[in-house]
Amino acid sequence: MVSFQIQLYSVLRSKLAAASVNLEAHDGVSAGEVLDALCNHYPLMAPYRNIMRLAVNQEYVLESRIIHTGDELALITPVSGG
Amino acid sequence: MVAEKLNKRWVSLSKTSLDIAAAYQFLQTPAAGGIALFIGTTRQWTDGRETTLLTYESYEPMALREMHLMIDMAARRWPISRACILHRLGEVPLAEASVLVGVATAHRPEAFEACRFLIDRLKVQVPIWKQEHLTDGQAHWIEGNEPPETTVT
Repeated sequence: MVSFQIQLYSVLRSKLAAASVNLEAHDGVSAGEVLDALCNHYPLMAPYRNIMRLAVNQEYVLESRIIHTGDELALITPVSGG
Repeated sequence: MVAEKLNKRWVSLSKTSLDIAAAYQFLQTPAAGGIALFIGTTRQWTDGRETTLLTYESYEPMALREMHLMIDMAARRWPISRACILHRLGEVPLAEASVLVGVATAHRPEAFEACRFLIDRLKVQVPIWKQEHLTDGQAHWIEGNEPPETTVT
C-alpha cells in the first residue's frame, strides 16, 4: 500500500477544514477507485461523487486512469471562476 | 499550426487589479482588424441576495495550464493573432474586474466568437472558485453547474 496525498480546494477544503487529505491505496489504483475510497472515508465528499473530478498531474482524467506513486492529485468540484 | 497563427498570448493570475489598458495594448497588432474584450465584474445583486465582496481561489498551476489549453483550442478554430486571459484572485470588490478575456483577429466575427468561447469555457474548465460574501456577514462558495470535461488519456 502507498499513501497518496490529494489536494482540496473551495467547498471541499472548507467542509473538511483541510488543504489536503491522505489515502492509503495500492499503486496502480484507478482514478474512479480513488474517488470512491475518498467518499467512503469522508462522507462530506459523498454528495460530490458524481460531479467532482480527480486531477492527475494538473489534468482532468477519466475514471479509468491509473494512478502511480508521485502523481500530483487534486479534487476539483464544479468551478466558478469568471 | 497553433504557433504560426497565434504568435502572442498572455495568460495570468494575479492578486492585484487587472490592468485593462495593458491588455488592450498587448492585443494591438497591425494584423488585427478587430479586438474583442470581455471583462467580468463583481455584481452587487444576485436573485435578491446582496453581495459585498467576492473572493477567488485557484489551483494555480493547473488553472494556468487549462487557460493555455483553451487558447490552443481557440487558435485551432479561429485565426487568432493575439489572445489574453487574465484572472484576479483574492478579494474583488463590487464593480471591479475579476476576469478579462481578449482576442485580436483580422475580422470582427472571429473576435466575438473566440472571445465568447474562451470566457464560456473558462467558467467550466479552469480550476478557479468564487466565494460570495453577503451583507449578513455570511460567506459561501459558488458551485458551478457542470463538471469539467475530462481529456481522453
